[in-house]
Amino acid sequence: MKDDKFDKEKWFESNSARYGIPIESLRKIFKNEFEGKTEIDAPLEIPDIIKVYYKYSYGQQSRFFRELRDNKKIMGAKCPKCGIVYCPPRANCSRCYVSTEWIEMSGQGTIVTYTITYYSPPTGFDRKVPFVIAYVKLDGSDFIILAAVEMEDVTLARPGMRVKVAFRKEREGRITDFFFKPMGPE
Amino acid sequence: MRKVAIVGAGTTSFKSRWIEKTYFELAFDAVKDALTHAKLSREDIQCCVYGVYNDIFQRQIQPDLYIHDYIGMAPRPAVRVATGGATGGSAVRIAFSEIASGMYDIALVLGVEKCSDCYNYELQSSTPEILKTIRYTADATYEGPTGRTAAGTFALSVIAHREKYGTPTELQMAKVSVKNHRNALKNPIAQSPKEITVEDVLSSRMVCYPFKFYDNCLYSEGASALILASEEKAKEITDKPVWITGVGASLDWSIPGNRPNIIEFTSSRIAAKKAYEMAGISNPLKEIDLAELHDAFTGLEILAYEDCGFCNEGEGGRLIDEGTVDIGGALPVNVSGGLIGCGHAIGASGVMQTREIVLQLKGEAGDRQIRNARRGMIQSVGGTACAWTVVLILERRD
Repeated sequence: MKDDKFDKEKWFESNSARYGIPIESLRKIFKNEFEGKTEIDAPLEIPDIIKVYYKYSYGQQSRFFRELRDNKKIMGAKCPKCGIVYCPPRANCSRCYVSTEWIEMSGQGTIVTYTITYYSPPTGFDRKVPFVIAYVKLDGSDFIILAAVEMEDVTLARPGMRVKVAFRKEREGRITDFFFKPMGPE
Repeated sequence: MRKVAIVGAGTTSFKSRWIEKTYFELAFDAVKDALTHAKLSREDIQCCVYGVYNDIFQRQIQPDLYIHDYIGMAPRPAVRVATGGATGGSAVRIAFSEIASGMYDIALVLGVEKCSDCYNYELQSSTPEILKTIRYTADATYEGPTGRTAAGTFALSVIAHREKYGTPTELQMAKVSVKNHRNALKNPIAQSPKEITVEDVLSSRMVCYPFKFYDNCLYSEGASALILASEEKAKEITDKPVWITGVGASLDWSIPGNRPNIIEFTSSRIAAKKAYEMAGISNPLKEIDLAELHDAFTGLEILAYEDCGFCNEGEGGRLIDEGTVDIGGALPVNVSGGLIGCGHAIGASGVMQTREIVLQLKGEAGDRQIRNARRGMIQSVGGTACAWTVVLILERRD
């Protein structure tokens, strides 16, 4: 029957719609497959995607993100038993197995180490490359926290550099709501 | 604890893309090669350990189920391990325990990875999707969203190390790249055999400071397999068993912020120390004939010299400068080409490294054979800033 014949135009249309891939891309990338030159045993590729939506709960870390988003505060957690200060915070001390207490952190710290990313895949959290990310020890913290350091000349980042917290205008309740800036003279 | 030997080793080639095979077909080829090497058949295997790192790469959650079926191992017990870049080493470690405990006499280890089916249609490249997938292994609440890549996690430690000790320098890192690409020239399964110069490395494009293009390993596809046996069975199977005489493992605080420092890799130090104690090694530089270390990035190999006790802290760069780790040096490192020259098919890499040492100790390493190699070492590393390390010591005793 004529209707049963494989229709490559329909294949392009339905795959483009289902996977959100522009039809021109599909035509280009799968060109060889549909030119009738492919051997019957040659590898056959298909488009596919894994996509999952979430409504992710921050659980007992929720206050950290609400304070960040609503009050522009960086919160830490102090263990009442051993005194360790966690930032990023955790509701339980992983060493003493007791509940921690919320404390507000200083907005200043020191770069412990850093790297400059020159190549980064598109993920939705992108910023323009090159960008600096650094482990920063906030004053009063026993932890180091990973965050962006925004600076005009990325090659000037150094361990030991003093930095201060800055908040993005449009905050979302994500760790990327804040970043660091070199402290230097304003 | 019973003695455990490796009696067979097999592999596929490591390539950027195995378009003609699925992950379970690659697994089949490696297992068939290992069985042939051991002169055993499928029926002889009593239990299996599978190393596959990333489900999203494979487009299959629980890929071990379908490997197990395809290689005909039903209804034997099997377990899959996934410890990042250390997956292969962990798989060998678990199989060792299965036999050492007395539960089984012959175990299969199979590591496999296929990553390049991931594909970004807009950029017409697999790389962005591979990096994106790996990024989901970073702590998704605090660290992943900052844009930290796999290279970034190790770059942070290398910069911290350099800040304290002044090493590894760019030139020392470049020399590691040259060495490992060159070593790969004699390895028929290698993905990136190449004669390059330090200038080529130094002038390659910056990817993630301080790592340039040639400081990075390549993403590979491939599978490697081993067959482990108890002493009694090993002696029946072969007159050249390779004994696993040392096993050490550690998983450090996996959020690096929790560690006292990130200048050195504590898990690597602990794993090496444990493995040396078990094997009775006090001076690894003198007592080990060759080592396969986890060189996902050049700087990591240099830090590994220190973490594995080949030299003091801060002196790793000297070993590459002085040729100690070259073929012909006191302790050749990554004769296979390592992850930089042979390739990094993540779940398979630790198994590939182990196979290299097995071939060397059996005198079957062809053009790259290290003469009279009697004791070799494998370091398998994975996770955020070397969270996981597995160290294995292999020996021949005849």
